[in-house]
Amino acid sequence: MATKNLPWIIKYRPRRIDEVVDQEQAKEKFLPWLRQWLQGRPPEKKAALLYGPAGVGKTSLVEAAAHEYGLEIIEMNASDFRRREDIERIAKIAATQYSLFGRKRIILLDEVDGISGTADKGGLDAILDLINATRYPIVMTANDPWDQKLRPLREAALMIPFNRLSERYVVQTLKRICVAEKIECEDAALKLIAQRSEGDLRSAINDLQAIAEGYGRVTVDIVKGVLASRDRQYSPWEMLRHLFMAKYAWQAKRAVTHADLDYITMLQWINENIAVQYSDPEDIWRAHESLARADIFMGRIMRSQSWDLLSYVFDLAGPGVALARKKSKFKWAKYQFPQKILLLARTKETREIRDAIAEVIAKRLHVSRTRAKSEVLPLLSVIFRERPDYAARLAIGYNLTDSMVKYLAGPMYNQVKEHINMLLLRLEKPSTAATIMPASSASGKHKQATLPTSSRASSSSTSTSRRRSSTGRRSSSRRRRKGGGTQTTLPL
Amino acid sequence: MSSSIAELLWAEKYRPRSLDEIVNQEEIVRRLKKFVEEKNMPHLLFVGPPGTGKTTAAHALAHDLYGENYMQYMLELNASDERGIDTIRTKVKEFARSRTPPNIPFKIVLLDEADNMTADAQQALRRLMEMYTASTRFILIANFPSKIIEPIQSRCAIFRFTPLKKEDVIARLKWICEQEGCKYTEEGLETIYEVSEGDMRRAINILQAAAALGTVTPEIVYKVVGLAHPKEIREIIRLALDGEFLKAREKLRTLMINYGLSGVDVIKQIHREIFGQELKIPEEIRVLIADYTGEIQFRLVEGADDEIQLNAFLAWLTLLGQKLRGSS
Repeated sequence: MATKNLPWIIKYRPRRIDEVVDQEQAKEKFLPWLRQWLQGRPPEKKAALLYGPAGVGKTSLVEAAAHEYGLEIIEMNASDFRRREDIERIAKIAATQYSLFGRKRIILLDEVDGISGTADKGGLDAILDLINATRYPIVMTANDPWDQKLRPLREAALMIPFNRLSERYVVQTLKRICVAEKIECEDAALKLIAQRSEGDLRSAINDLQAIAEGYGRVTVDIVKGVLASRDRQYSPWEMLRHLFMAKYAWQAKRAVTHADLDYITMLQWINENIAVQYSDPEDIWRAHESLARADIFMGRIMRSQSWDLLSYVFDLAGPGVALARKKSKFKWAKYQFPQKILLLARTKETREIRDAIAEVIAKRLHVSRTRAKSEVLPLLSVIFRERPDYAARLAIGYNLTDSMVKYLAGPMYNQVKEHINMLLLRLEKPSTAATIMPASSASGKHKQATLPTSSRASSSSTSTSRRRSSTGRRSSSRRRRKGGGTQTTLPL
Repeated sequence: MSSSIAELLWAEKYRPRSLDEIVNQEEIVRRLKKFVEEKNMPHLLFVGPPGTGKTTAAHALAHDLYGENYMQYMLELNASDERGIDTIRTKVKEFARSRTPPNIPFKIVLLDEADNMTADAQQALRRLMEMYTASTRFILIANFPSKIIEPIQSRCAIFRFTPLKKEDVIARLKWICEQEGCKYTEEGLETIYEVSEGDMRRAINILQAAAALGTVTPEIVYKVVGLAHPKEIREIIRLALDGEFLKAREKLRTLMINYGLSGVDVIKQIHREIFGQELKIPEEIRVLIADYTGEIQFRLVEGADDEIQLNAFLAWLTLLGQKLRGSS
């Protein structure tokens, strides 16, 4: 498997205990406890409960220790606790079977605080049974172990607190990753990411990866732009991850209500990533349709300013999207920036040219720029691509710049340009009176003057013989291009 | 044949300059000529579908009132292009202060696509109309009269422009063809009338592009319209039905940005494609798609986001495609 596509939180997770940074106190409690197990003297408390804020290294420490001591990790997630057969499977492994030739084991129950609901009462009992019967070390993790319902677990386990990581260590780790990935980064930018993460190394690494992959480098400006204030909680990537991992409606709703994005931008992020996360067409449609409904409510809010409708936006964009998943398997998806924003930046120049043409046309046809763009420009473009000679006369008539001609003519640019030059050449001959149509009939205010323009009054006569000769030239160049010569002179 | 090396769009070249040159909308022209005779007029509201001569009539009226250089006494604004009522207010204020015409006691503010203004902006516009009523007259142009607020309607003389008759459009196209010396067939011009849905400006634009490609026949007209309406739309539908949602989405996005199409532009073209024979799908499915297309268009008109709605549409098409493949 290509390591390129791995999330960095996995690629760079600690392999050795000393790579788990800034948790010396936790290690001082955890490691002796674990060594007792390994020396065949199970400690009095057969389980340890590692607790502390998210992303500070609880699971990492267990994994690093397992790696260093050659232990096999049997892992179970909080969300699995309700499933009786899973609990029994683990329980069986833990209690009844010795690993004869295989490696020693460690049992990891992640996020046990996720089962604090009354519905999981059975799950909690199952864990307690497990702790009683186990022949292997059981490690549990939790963000908040102080819920009333978790008291039996607290009593049965050795409590090991983890602290928020200090900014210095977060920056250090980010820096190390940047060097390994050969990512250009500013120290101040890493510091910003670290500050915003509030000691959550996992979210900091995720932010770093998203920025590095989205922009190719990590600068203060980009970080400031992407990770706005921190009074709301989730970066776009965190929001998406929480949203798509949600199993319950409230989790999905929490993801969207805690996103550090304005509502419209948030809808765009979700819009961009539904099909990145889901694979089943039916799931994708259900999610998109729900998001589209959220968007309708958003539109109503914007028009009527009835912000009390916002809740429905959250319902449909959060749980509506998250619970649309029925068949798609969960996978680690690499979320994308809303491509529209990137595409708009990339095509900015082209669009500016297009808008400039639209402006010229709009003024002269007395229509809006929008109408000029959607109604006139496509037809103009047809003429420019199909009839370079005629297009040249239009280009002169409207004083179009080179880049405008290029936009309209596309692959035929050179031919149109050739004809323009030919026509202009005729102007320069002193024997021919300068005879072009006025560039503007009424209100000509054009920024792009490529040509001298004269008034309508002097535009009556070009020498006929001269015109004929140029027509001949035109059609011959046309024949050359087309390789056959059915087309003769032009009707226009 | 034009005797110059420069050419203009025929929609500009052959726009009637004075009221006398406007061949249809006789009743309207007659009333407008009265204003010219009396050298006075109320605020005007021109309503009607696109390409029926509203803007042309406004310009012709001003031309007949002020003469050849009428533009110095008329301020032309397009509500869709102006950034809000504040810029409109500033421009009107400035214009009202500029010099007055010699024989006529008022100047004209022409506000096109006024129905694109929000109700709030229209309220501000109403105050603006009252403020400068001594020295200026407003001509408001709109497609839908119902989108103009009541207080403005009641302050204006309303002129309803009806869709042009088929023979009027074709007569005009013929006349232009004769001026330009281009070849055409009767059916060619009829086809233009049909695809332009009675919109004269659009008809003339299509005529010019078709004439540039050769004799104006139905085939050439369809070719021009086909070229102008990117065939990507059909490919997008195809991709989605083939299960390539992501590719369809990508293509649609590029198309919209490159051509500057709005969501409504796109959905209308999709609707056109659905009943085209190039798209090979069971007949009853066409109706099914049309239904959802209409739903999406309605949402867009109501102010929903182009991309989010169109993605929902594409996702639905993808699912439909899967079901079709599964059943066949």
